[in-house]
Amino acid sequence: MRAACATLLVLATVGCAPVPSGAGGGPPARVVSLAPSLTEIVWALGAGERLVGVCAQCDYPPAVAALPRVGGYLAPSVEAVIGVRPDLVVVVPSPGNREAVRALERVGVRVLVVHDRTLDDLRASVRALAGALGLTAAGERLVADVDHGLAAVHARVAGLPARRVLLVVGHSPLVVAGAGTLQDELLTIAGGTNVAADAGQAWPQVAPELVVARAPEVIVDAAMGTEAGGHDLFAGLTTVPAVRDGRVVALRGDALFRAGPRVVEAAEALVRAIHPEAGG
Amino acid sequence: MRASYLTRRRLLATVVALLAALLVSIAATSLVGPVHASLRRALGPGGPSTPDYVIIVRTRLPRVLLGAVVGGSLSAAGAALQALLQNPLAEPHLLGVSSGAAVAGMVALIAGADPVSPLVPAAAFAGALGTMALVYLAARAHGRTTPHAILLVGVVCNAIAAAAIMLVNAIASYAQARGVLFWIMGALSTQSYALVALVAVYALAGLGWLVAHAQSLNLFAAGDEGAQQLGVDVEGARRSVFVAASLLVAAAVSVSGMIGFVGLIVPHLLRLVLGPDQRLLLPASFLGGAVFLVWADAAARTALGPAELPVGVVTALVGGPFFVFLLRRRLARTLP
Repeated sequence: MRAACATLLVLATVGCAPVPSGAGGGPPARVVSLAPSLTEIVWALGAGERLVGVCAQCDYPPAVAALPRVGGYLAPSVEAVIGVRPDLVVVVPSPGNREAVRALERVGVRVLVVHDRTLDDLRASVRALAGALGLTAAGERLVADVDHGLAAVHARVAGLPARRVLLVVGHSPLVVAGAGTLQDELLTIAGGTNVAADAGQAWPQVAPELVVARAPEVIVDAAMGTEAGGHDLFAGLTTVPAVRDGRVVALRGDALFRAGPRVVEAAEALVRAIHPEAGG
Repeated sequence: MRASYLTRRRLLATVVALLAALLVSIAATSLVGPVHASLRRALGPGGPSTPDYVIIVRTRLPRVLLGAVVGGSLSAAGAALQALLQNPLAEPHLLGVSSGAAVAGMVALIAGADPVSPLVPAAAFAGALGTMALVYLAARAHGRTTPHAILLVGVVCNAIAAAAIMLVNAIASYAQARGVLFWIMGALSTQSYALVALVAVYALAGLGWLVAHAQSLNLFAAGDEGAQQLGVDVEGARRSVFVAASLLVAAAVSVSGMIGFVGLIVPHLLRLVLGPDQRLLLPASFLGGAVFLVWADAAARTALGPAELPVGVVTALVGGPFFVFLLRRRLARTLP
């Protein structure tokens, strides 16, 4: 029985053999991206036409809508990935895709694993992807663009006093961005000070009373859902300056949650929320 | 066995003692949180404009009260279900009712409702009622149900709901999946006294309904036929208790998510101390569950400093070992 299974497995593997594993030594021409942030990076590097498959959550730029989906961001389908015959798969590490990554490597698919938690991760992953795609110069240009973009955003708030900010990502329970996150970095660049930076976790769940005690001047509500919901949640906290002065700002879109080229857009949106007087 | 004989006096004394414990717990835990708030400043001159007032009166007290109602509902439902199904492992989330609530709540979230809007608990409540009807009808044949059938159908409903939740998480967008995950984790969080009052009235009605059937539940211990011979309308009583317990669970889950363990260990704990008579055990479980969850939530919001723990983590981590300890003591005494 076990022998039969092993035979089947071997046959199955052989059946998938015509995977061009970087044959010829040229840069990969068929790329699969298993994370929304990495899809955006590949596109920004000008290699969008090499993508032959993306994850179910990859939705930017809009052109990726036409590409085959090869499973979820957290649980990619090994078969679907192999089915589009990639010569490079780029992926962000997660407990859910570890087995899939191993299975892909076993059948000889080249897998590049990069991180996407912080701005440093972003720079490193842009360089790694650019290197793997044979686009080193474009990679350096993209890193420089992002850095210049963020510097320009920061310059707009340079003369302004940093405002105390709470960045909300979930309403029930109340979950906020802590230190060590991309969002904390962007918030600082946009002229804010994260009042939940000392919570000891990246995504702390906090009690509403902590919001009262920390008295943020701005509450950036990036949780999904309606703006009315956020108002219900904070309306009673009348001693909080952000509530008192009407600075509970809903922020929509995924740019803030992706370590991709749109971090500059996200930082600009944060400036509009935190320092509307800075214009732009 | 000293605990097995129930007099009106003993019933009254126990309920009054537990009620006093609950009131003390509510008052004490309202003064406990991740940040310090002074009751004196909150109630002093200019009180309502102080952060202390906002913290204690607007955020902490409604949450403590909601914890009491939810803990009481889950625990009383657990006690009733353990007797109804004649199974010591029965607990509120076993009937499928909670997972029905979770799925319906999730659908509302994916459709765009905000987790703090009343739409989500309303959807969750409807989902719970729908699942309750489904479980009852599926477990019924020739006008009769059996405890086994109810348990099995409930377990299957849980499995289907868990799969539905994973399915939606797999196809939902990144932001939606994140929102759903947080919501299902469950938490006691409200600033609305109206919501607390609504759930409380509902919970007390459910408890009253259960207590009215306490004697029938006692007789279920004799088995279906035994109970029948002792004059119990077995099918009618089973339906009543099933519906009442499900309604209690539905209300609790729709406002707090899936908080586990309260409905399992508190009734067992009290049964060890007070004996198995449901006339005492049901109200005692309600009050005991309320006390337990109020303190568990106080621990959850203070243990990690500024950050909170999910309250379910505390109920399982603290309640589990304590329960095993009590059980061991009981075993050591009863086994030769």
